[in-house]
Amino acid sequence: MPEKLYNWLDERLGLSAIKELATHKQVPDHKHSIWYYWGGLCLFFFSVMVLTGILLLMYYTPGEGAYDSVRNINTHVKFGWLIRSIHSWSANLMLFSAFVHMFSTFFMKAYRAPREFLWWTGMGLISLAMVFGFSGYLLPLDDLAYFATKVGLGIPATVPVIGPIISDLARGGAEIGPITVQRFFALHVWVLPSLFIPLLGLHLYLVQKHGMSIPPSEQAKPVAQRKTIPFFPNFAVKDLAVWLIAANVLALLACVFPWDLGPAADALKPAPADIHPEWYFMSSFQILKIFGNWFPGALGEFLGLAVFNLGVFLWVLVPFFDPNTRSGAWGRRVTWYGYLVVLVTIVTTIWAYAALPAAH
Amino acid sequence: MNYPFLDIPVIGSGWMIGIIAIIHVLISHFAVGGGIFLVFAEHKAIQEDRRDWFPRLQAFSKFFMILTGVYGAMTGVGIWFAIGLANPEGTSALIHNFVFGWAIEWVFFLVELSLASAYYYTWKRVSDKDHLRLGYAYAIASLGTLVIINGILTFKLTPGAWLAIAGSGQEAHYFFSAFFNAGYFPALGLRTLVCISLAGVWSLIFFSRLDGEKDGVVKTSMVRWAAKWFLPAFFLMPVFGAWYYFTIPLDQRELLLLGVGTAGQGLFTHVTRMALIVTLASATIGVVVFLFAWMSPKNFGFGNALLVLLLAALATASGESMREYLRKPFIVKGYLYSNGTRVADVAKRNQEGYLAHTPWLVKGFGQDSTTLSKFEAGKRMFQGQCMSCHTVDGYRSMRRLLKDRDNKGIANILGMLHDYKPDSPYRKFMPPLVGKPEEIDALRFYLNHMINGDKAAKVP
Repeated sequence: MPEKLYNWLDERLGLSAIKELATHKQVPDHKHSIWYYWGGLCLFFFSVMVLTGILLLMYYTPGEGAYDSVRNINTHVKFGWLIRSIHSWSANLMLFSAFVHMFSTFFMKAYRAPREFLWWTGMGLISLAMVFGFSGYLLPLDDLAYFATKVGLGIPATVPVIGPIISDLARGGAEIGPITVQRFFALHVWVLPSLFIPLLGLHLYLVQKHGMSIPPSEQAKPVAQRKTIPFFPNFAVKDLAVWLIAANVLALLACVFPWDLGPAADALKPAPADIHPEWYFMSSFQILKIFGNWFPGALGEFLGLAVFNLGVFLWVLVPFFDPNTRSGAWGRRVTWYGYLVVLVTIVTTIWAYAALPAAH
Repeated sequence: MNYPFLDIPVIGSGWMIGIIAIIHVLISHFAVGGGIFLVFAEHKAIQEDRRDWFPRLQAFSKFFMILTGVYGAMTGVGIWFAIGLANPEGTSALIHNFVFGWAIEWVFFLVELSLASAYYYTWKRVSDKDHLRLGYAYAIASLGTLVIINGILTFKLTPGAWLAIAGSGQEAHYFFSAFFNAGYFPALGLRTLVCISLAGVWSLIFFSRLDGEKDGVVKTSMVRWAAKWFLPAFFLMPVFGAWYYFTIPLDQRELLLLGVGTAGQGLFTHVTRMALIVTLASATIGVVVFLFAWMSPKNFGFGNALLVLLLAALATASGESMREYLRKPFIVKGYLYSNGTRVADVAKRNQEGYLAHTPWLVKGFGQDSTTLSKFEAGKRMFQGQCMSCHTVDGYRSMRRLLKDRDNKGIANILGMLHDYKPDSPYRKFMPPLVGKPEEIDALRFYLNHMINGDKAAKVP
């Protein structure tokens, strides 16, 4: 009976072809293989976010009632607090995994030909993920979300000419309010997913097309000495096990550190002294602050933005500087650039947290 | 309190014990389970004539001897130091009650450590039969350490009939009653299952280092055999867990149930959170080992094994944390509170004063309690009665917990803790606050300064 059913489905859906592809697909196996799991982890956390996001949509109301609806989710809806905590922790863990994935592919030189578009689609995905985080952060409209968004939207406003237009467009007016929440909501659940999902599809298609890249240390070995394992079932079951562990970490964080909801936003109240963005914006936040201190006024803000964007621009264009294994000195320079970016990111993030005034 | 006070900032003394204990539990339970694992593996290798297992088992027994003999023993002694410093009253109560139990435990330790070395150094030097005998002797000695310590650990939650003679000076006569308490056998079952699983975890760590390309056959057989050691726990844990649950005193069970009942609203207790994590992590270990180790033993790498260890650490740490929290607000249920105050002494301390009975906190500094300023007296009250569970700024931070409370709010909480009425919500997890009214007021004064800073200066 199962065989009959399989044959019936196979004739209509071409299951054998998929099975064949999965069995023949090989995954490199070497001492850096651990980095292959991080892309899958991003996908796992994203799937969790889609699921929990849909559940939150059942009770969340954007606009005027935003805060009350989140409070209702947190206190009255059965397991609403859990769904919300999982959603928020998933977002943070996805961004963390995405950063690890980005840096590991960078140092494994996975952006080299023919994988340039994998690098660029990845850059697009991580940028969209950060906008997801920024837009989602405001949705509960509590105290912290309100003031952090206010600071965040103030940053693009420093760009001459188009800056204020972008900020006003996002805010839906001169001040953050229910209209802003409505816009961020539209961005968060409609605009961003409709950009993110096709881009993710393209990214996954390219992974499938080019296979996993191997780091230079492995490429140096003769082909006969390189080890691979079948994608199915060997790599797939390992991936599944890693996802299970990730689910445990998620459950642990959501249970032990459930996501808090602060007091309702009040524009008339003074901003809390320790107001700051989410951790993944802390590095850029600090860089802007440093330039602001060096060059007081609009010049500092503009220079900070310019330097930061130049750094990102070079990062995105890295496949042009280091296109293949014959890149020589440029290949090494790009690696050093990577070390510099990691160092600056870590140092400025720690610096930003250390510079925050105490909450009490 | 009759002992000096130990201040561990940020993490608090509880976590100081906790960190050492988590490492110790992961290794000491392996010392028991690993002993059984090694000798069973050797027996199997001899019976099935798997000569290729011998060099690996020999190397594994070296790893075992060093890990358990050095790190296990060091962290074990570390726990003694830590509990003696952080919870001297509790430690003293356990020593006085179980002095022979501890003596037997140390004998087992010595035998265990000697036999672990003997087992390793006699590979290929004595006959297979004699080597197996050494292995079985080790397994029995190490099991002996678990049999003893389990009685002392479970006693703290379910002291049972012993409570009737507690404080009479006759405690040691009721050794067996205290030792084989209601929780003894189910906890022994649970711990034995943990030992067997941890033998699986650590052996997987070791066997993951075998070269799957060169030694594919032997790696497959050893990794798969190690994976089977998770099966007893996977199936029997729920049975022993349920048995253990029904031995938990009703008050403590309520703490767990309260959490289950309110989980929907997110108000569930710490014990329930820990119970959830133990259940989830334990179930996941079984599945992860199946996926990683059983399905592709040749490719089972060190990183995979570390993830299994991580899950085991998560399950163990949450399990031990749950066991500790279940006992709240006691160290020994019904006898000694978690801040070192004996239940029987509460009325006396309230009448004669807390500071009058804490020579190390007050007289130890060359002062009499009456000469202390109000601030100093409050500080000593805080150190003696709060800091066994709370820190100023770190774990269970007083600043965070009392945030937004003014002088009156702080006085109200202290009043509730001091009165300790039967319907007080704090009774479920906090000990009573003892002392004369002026001492309680000194504590209020000190806390108000800590929380409200300059604003408090105007309040007497």
